Amino acid sequence: MNAAGMLRRARPGLPGLLVLCALAAGLATLATVAVVGHPPASQAEQVQQIAASLHCPICKDLSVADSPAPLAQQMRQEIAQKLRAGESADQIRAGFVAAYGVSVLMSPPRQGVTGAVYYLPLLVLAAGLITAVMVLRRWLRAPQAVPSEAGPPRLAATQRRAVATAVARLREEEPG
Amino acid sequence: MSGRFTRRRARLLAGVGAVVTVIVVLLMTGLGRDPSVIASPLVGRAAPDFTLPQLDGPPVTLAKLHGQIVVINFWASWCAECQAEQAALDQTWRRFQDSGVVVIGVNFEDGAGAARGYVRADDVAYPVVEDAGSKTALAYGLRGVPETFVVNRSGRIVSHAIGPVGAAALSSEINSMLLASPR
Repeated sequence: MNAAGMLRRARPGLPGLLVLCALAAGLATLATVAVVGHPPASQAEQVQQIAASLHCPICKDLSVADSPAPLAQQMRQEIAQKLRAGESADQIRAGFVAAYGVSVLMSPPRQGVTGAVYYLPLLVLAAGLITAVMVLRRWLRAPQAVPSEAGPPRLAATQRRAVATAVARLREEEPG
Repeated sequence: MSGRFTRRRARLLAGVGAVVTVIVVLLMTGLGRDPSVIASPLVGRAAPDFTLPQLDGPPVTLAKLHGQIVVINFWASWCAECQAEQAALDQTWRRFQDSGVVVIGVNFEDGAGAARGYVRADDVAYPVVEDAGSKTALAYGLRGVPETFVVNRSGRIVSHAIGPVGAAALSSEINSMLLASPR
């Protein structure tokens, strides 16, 4: 095989090699993030993260991070001030919850009554799966009880005995 | 066989009935409530303290009013509903100011000039303070104006009203508080 032919044969492998390189680079990045962790967020990023987890109290379905309302702006400033004062994200959120109630959180807490939002779907799913399994088992068992159309009908022992007796009687009654 | 089937059907119907009843009760309780009116978690708790500058006068510190009944009204000059309740608040202040009751108007997201103009035009007699940065509004979990909090002599918030307050309802509440804990 000449060189041009070898090159032609090698060509289909090039995209594969590129994909492999990309995969390796992606895995290396993931491994680095897993080992080293995320770089510490800047204060502006922290403010954004906390604001995104809070519901703007005077808006409809907008977070404090997304709302242009003056009160939301004040809340973002308050978050920045509290971060500078050394409060953690959880402490800041707890402060707003104390004033506004849990409705100020974009995601309801997993504790208490609101925890049902997280656990109820799982319970319903589990109940559905159990019901499905029970129904399937019943369906699979059902053909044993129902006589099949292909074979002869299954008879109880007493019925079989009654049939055998009737056949014997008929044979006795037959002439010859 | 038939009895077993009937019992199973009855159990199934009872189960479905129970689930439907729970859903109906939840819907009835939920639908009968105004979703925009959210009860303040501060009711029953100590009122967040503040020291705020008056529009025309010395600063007002809530802690210094301990032992008095305090009506804290958040308002703004651009708020039409605040104008609607203005007379009721003035009436309450004039009627109870000698009985150990203080009315404080906390100006919310407003210009000082507009607020002063409003106070003069409407002849607001009770102290009005500025809440620059809305720090106090945030501490009180404010969702808009007007909102009114009533603080008892021990410094605890006993009621929270969203929207304009009426003179009769406010007077009745203050009267019962004065009767319950006379000075």
